[in-house]
Amino acid sequence: MNQVIVAENLDVGYERKKVVENVNINAMKGQMICLLGPNGAGKTTILRTLTGLLAPLKGTVSINGNDVEHIGKDALAKELAVVLTELLSLGYLTVFEIAAMGRYPHTNYFGKLSEYDIKIVRDALTAVDAYRLKDRCFSELSDGEKQKVMIARALVQQPKLIVLDEPTSHLDVKHKVEVIKILQKLCAEKGITVILSLHDIDLAIKACQIVLLVRKGEIVAEGTPEEVILDGTIQRLYDIEGAHYNELMGSLEFDNTETPEFFVTGGDGTGAGIYRALSRAGIGMVCGILHTNDIDSYIGKTLNCRIIEENAFEAIGDRSFAEAKAVIEGISCLVDTGFPLRHGNHRNLELLKYGIAEGKTVFSLCKKENLFARYGPWANRIEVCGSVCQLIQRMKQEKGRGKNDDYWNIADEG
Amino acid sequence: MGKKSRQRMMITVLMGMTLFVGILSISVGSVNIGMLNVVKIMLGMDVGNPVYSSIVLDIRFPRLLAAVIGGAALSVSGLLLQIFFRNPIVEPYVLGISSGASLFVGVAIMGGYRFGLSGIGPLYLFLGAFAGAMLVMIAVCCAAKKVHHITTLLIIGVMAGFICSAGTSMLTSFADKEQIANYVTWTLGSFSGFSWMQVKFLFFLNAPILIAVFLLSKPLNAMLFGENYALSMGLNIKRFRMAIIVIASILTAGITAFAGPISFIGLAVPHIVRILFHSSDNRVLIPAVIVLGALMTAVCDFCARMLLSPVELPLSAITSLIGAPIVIYLLVTKRSEL
Repeated sequence: MNQVIVAENLDVGYERKKVVENVNINAMKGQMICLLGPNGAGKTTILRTLTGLLAPLKGTVSINGNDVEHIGKDALAKELAVVLTELLSLGYLTVFEIAAMGRYPHTNYFGKLSEYDIKIVRDALTAVDAYRLKDRCFSELSDGEKQKVMIARALVQQPKLIVLDEPTSHLDVKHKVEVIKILQKLCAEKGITVILSLHDIDLAIKACQIVLLVRKGEIVAEGTPEEVILDGTIQRLYDIEGAHYNELMGSLEFDNTETPEFFVTGGDGTGAGIYRALSRAGIGMVCGILHTNDIDSYIGKTLNCRIIEENAFEAIGDRSFAEAKAVIEGISCLVDTGFPLRHGNHRNLELLKYGIAEGKTVFSLCKKENLFARYGPWANRIEVCGSVCQLIQRMKQEKGRGKNDDYWNIADEG
Repeated sequence: MGKKSRQRMMITVLMGMTLFVGILSISVGSVNIGMLNVVKIMLGMDVGNPVYSSIVLDIRFPRLLAAVIGGAALSVSGLLLQIFFRNPIVEPYVLGISSGASLFVGVAIMGGYRFGLSGIGPLYLFLGAFAGAMLVMIAVCCAAKKVHHITTLLIIGVMAGFICSAGTSMLTSFADKEQIANYVTWTLGSFSGFSWMQVKFLFFLNAPILIAVFLLSKPLNAMLFGENYALSMGLNIKRFRMAIIVIASILTAGITAFAGPISFIGLAVPHIVRILFHSSDNRVLIPAVIVLGALMTAVCDFCARMLLSPVELPLSAITSLIGAPIVIYLLVTKRSEL
């Protein structure tokens, strides 16, 4: 592998205002490198400096061994192409004409296209799946199509490096995926190096070989997504407030700040959706007992709910069971999410039965016909809810009833 | 390549129409000569009336040529500015370039006698207009470096125009009546009284520039994508920017010096051409803009002369009356862009 673009000890910014300092990038052939960070962190400034649109304040950028500042603009255009965020109004230019503009550094004085040039344009449009649009006007295209055409234009320059500033903003999921897949293909098949900035954390983690985290004027981390994106990285990078991000799940959940008034079971994914729905409805809860490797546990924690946990691959033990019982004593309602009963989590059913015995209301999302098999003689003491919607309605009616203030005061202090 | 041959055909049709309008316009007036006689005179044949020859060759033909050359120059100037500022409503008149030229022509006409000059030669007028046009354009471009928003820049251009107009009106309060009358007639715009010398001057000034503009088609096309993209494709922006400023200024200055500030031609013609030719490719637009600019100005001049004959209407009134509704119509119905 050989180096395509190298930035060393780079300080970037405008005149006297330094935006990001000490940027080091070493991009190899065929690599996809992503700058990730909040708005205003300096991603665009870094990209502008890498592409020679902005002179570095300190340090150097070299492309294939040539300093970007000293290489001629036309020579640079054969090495490097860009896709910018600028909104273009290209009037009556057709998609083909727009892509063909990428031949600019290669064609003669009048920009006359040779057979070879036309083939390059055709191939590029085909590569981004936009050849069928070739006679359409730019203004008639959707945002996703426009972005693909701009990538084709960059490709037509036959560069070794393509730099894209937020190429997936404004795009729907389908087009986001398409654009990223196109770029991945360019890296893998044509050996083009791609440097881009992204707002989609998911896409960055899953598609790029290297990520650079940019935060408040410095590169806080650089490496493979697996090395760089750890628990809490994203939370800190973006200073997210009022929500939590789970790096493993790639999921963002809004914080549930309500006082817990319900005990909601779960397990095997039966809880995640309900936890979210209850949080959305402004209902506080304690979730349990969940195994540490259960998706319900991850989502519940990210929702900022209290979780009573058991070690993965172990049957529910006395410690967690006792903890759950203590919680149930202080609340008036329990919810059975309809989790499958297995050897490891059988004691969750015991907890629900304990609740009934203690005179608590128990809601279940199980089907009525399964109730007897699940609860035996206790079945007629269970209130079945046909849907989460109905459950929430009932829970809101129960809310605040029989609340034990002393208990919650203690819990809050703990 | 059906589109290409259709575009070629349209240019040919426009040229034919220009020729027809030209001959028609020469043939009518206070003395009606007849189109056939006009053709004969142009071909050097005798029509039996020496007055006819004189009217055609000394008065009406140079006037028509001035309109044709001036119209082409203004239209191309408008096209360049629209691309340069990436704004569809820019033209020399809007951006204050014409006002700058007016101010300096005002200085020339009203101050010329004071500096001890007996008459105002075409070169002197042109230099005044050119200096004014350049000054406004450079001021706007200096501002362009400071501001990033193109609308702001446009407003700066318009303000520069106001400042120039203010200067001009102050100037008029010091001038005597005859000079003011001269100047006011000039500001209304007219192609009347063009001499062969002025026509030759305009031709040799504008022809090479129009060719040069055509040679700049490729970078102009790149400029449609904005400066950053153009730069990334290898265009030397600084040099190109300067070239556009100088060219647009010369094109505007030349015609403004002699015929006065003429509005709307520079704005309307590029739009009409884009819609008619359904293209934004400058290799197609530039020749078409030249031809349609010539045609439209010739038609406007014809109307100015003939509508309320023998009274001659101000040219700018006609160009506005014809140009503005066309632009509105096209924008409303076809959604024209750059």
